[in-house]
Amino acid sequence: MNVPLATKPRPLQETAPQINRVLLLSALVLLLSLGAWGYQLSQGLIVTNMRNPFSWGLYIATFAFFVGIAAGGLIVSSSVYLFNLEKLKPLTRVASLSAFASTLGAGAMILPDMGRIDRILNLILHPNLRSPLVWDVAVISTYMVVTFLSVYVQLLPEWRESGRGFFNTWTKSRTPEEIQHFSKIWSRRVAMVGLPVAVLIHTVTALIFATQASRGWWNTAILPPDFIAVAVASGTALVMLVSLVVVGKARFTEFQGAFALLAKIVGGALIVHFFFVGVDLLVHGWWGSPESQEIFSLLFGTYAPVYLTELLLPGFTMLFFLTKKGSSTAKTLIFGSVLLFIGVFAHRLMLMFPAFNAIPLTLSLPGIGMESWAYPISVGVLRPGLPSFVTFWAYTPSVFEVVIALLPFALVTFVIALALKLYPFLPVRRG
Amino acid sequence: MRLGMVIDLDKCIGCRTCTVTCKSHNAQPPGIWWNRVFTPGSDFHQAASGQEGHLQMSFLPVSCQMCDNAPCEKVCPVGATYTDERGVVLVDYERCIGCRYCIAACPYNVRQFNWEDPKKAKERVGYEKGYEYGYPVEIRDPDGRLIYTPNRPVGVAEKCTFCFQYTSKGELPACVSSCPSKARIFGDLDDQESEVSTLLRDRSSFRLKEELGTQPKVYYLPPNKQ
Ligand code: SF4
Ligand code: SF4
Ligand code: SF4
Repeated sequence: MNVPLATKPRPLQETAPQINRVLLLSALVLLLSLGAWGYQLSQGLIVTNMRNPFSWGLYIATFAFFVGIAAGGLIVSSSVYLFNLEKLKPLTRVASLSAFASTLGAGAMILPDMGRIDRILNLILHPNLRSPLVWDVAVISTYMVVTFLSVYVQLLPEWRESGRGFFNTWTKSRTPEEIQHFSKIWSRRVAMVGLPVAVLIHTVTALIFATQASRGWWNTAILPPDFIAVAVASGTALVMLVSLVVVGKARFTEFQGAFALLAKIVGGALIVHFFFVGVDLLVHGWWGSPESQEIFSLLFGTYAPVYLTELLLPGFTMLFFLTKKGSSTAKTLIFGSVLLFIGVFAHRLMLMFPAFNAIPLTLSLPGIGMESWAYPISVGVLRPGLPSFVTFWAYTPSVFEVVIALLPFALVTFVIALALKLYPFLPVRRG
Repeated sequence: MRLGMVIDLDKCIGCRTCTVTCKSHNAQPPGIWWNRVFTPGSDFHQAASGQEGHLQMSFLPVSCQMCDNAPCEKVCPVGATYTDERGVVLVDYERCIGCRYCIAACPYNVRQFNWEDPKKAKERVGYEKGYEYGYPVEIRDPDGRLIYTPNRPVGVAEKCTFCFQYTSKGELPACVSSCPSKARIFGDLDDQESEVSTLLRDRSSFRLKEELGTQPKVYYLPPNKQ
């Protein structure tokens, strides 16, 4: 890649012509996915493979995935101020951008999961304050605003100079220095306000699941802290990945220190995550109740391939990123991050499988010598060849579900690419 | 008033009459069952279970347990699920946004979802032309909330209403009046003189998954083992 020496901050457009291709591709996928959603709207959620026994699937897993990666932005920007990590400072804009985009993605994913999107305003008109879902809507909307502001205040100085951007007419009457100063102060403030909100979106999203005593797999206080650990790991990895693209090969060495630090944060967060996983499995397993035996047989039997993906890939990334070799080249960093994303996605899917396929109404029948008998659940759909009641639902997403779940991926890619094309996200080369 | 039900497992013969009357009186779309009856311990209904030479068979009807501490109501983000002044947990078909959080939350798996438009579903499964079933008109609670309609909207959750259309007029739920074995007893748990209260005083009873603290208002009288 032939990268001209930048004397002034420039949008990525001039340095990476492929960005147009990325934009086009993500726009196409976005349209395809919207089309599939349109079809789902006309037919109902019957086009998915979710049914009564397995009522949340790929959509909610994908939603949780995007909530997770949305953390990185503010964690990176806030740690710059909190821990004086000056090395990371040049990356705070990219960080905020990827956080804002991921939050948009999470919000977009939740919409096709709703059976009645036309009644979405009921969330505002009749909110039930006891519902963790309402708390989540509130914190995620707040986070979206905060990350947007974070991007905005950081871009203002450049916008003032170039006359681009939006919401910036008021800057005309100020001097560039004033705006520079404003941007500096408010970047810091927004990052500080944002950090607790970032922590909250994971806590509350985890609480949607953790509060439910009906599902043994969710009902643990370790879920919220573990969500945070996974979010720090995957969110930071996203910031790293986007930054690697923005920085490009030519300027990699300039930011090598920052990348090595990010890799360390990812590795460290994963250590915490695996600690939680270990403790959780131990507590679930030690007592050895029929319920936990059921969960273990789902984890290490039926769903072993997905579960091992969730354990092994991030496990590898953890070790890899803590070595010098793993954290020192763009290739190894990309490799480790991609493995991590696949692992974390598997982790989000595994939120669903053992929760739904361990039937809550499972009874012990002493006289019959049976410790756990699951009461059959009505499928909800009458189809030839399909039983009316089941005790296991072999859920795999339908083609429509997969295409619709591409929506946030396309949206996030599109928003990030568009922003990078239009505005400068990397400061001038120093020195 | 706290409406509740007692189900005498000694009397239940597992005939599933209640399942069928429930379905037809409440116009449940194809594939949706508010009220199930199964044979504990067995994969097939009406098949005995147990060890060689010591087989036994009893039946367990399960519909909404009308929890006093109802997780489905607490999770519902828009208050579509609510408990009325008689202690009956209901769903407002016009308010539900179809998030299905309640289905994940209910420990008894009684909640059903309208995955497709019931009209289309009826056409697809090939019910005879003109075959309509269920209480024919919509029912609203005193606040005007739609808690029953023979034509269910697509994309909403539903479940047992204790036959609101009948019990709001002081009549019995369909499962109770149709049970040929008189296994189901319905009444006010707050009224000490009611048949349900008397039975609960005189006989030993249990509730499903009591350890979860959902405080169901459906009680079971255990079967005598034969
Ligand atoms: S049984 Fe399920 S649907 Fe009925 S009140 Fe209890 S939690 Fe709600
Ligand atoms: S599916 Fe409907 S009734 Fe159930 S929690 Fe969501 S809005 Fe409430
Ligand atoms: S109708 Fe009565 S006897 Fe028949 S299955 Fe239902 S409760 Fe049991």
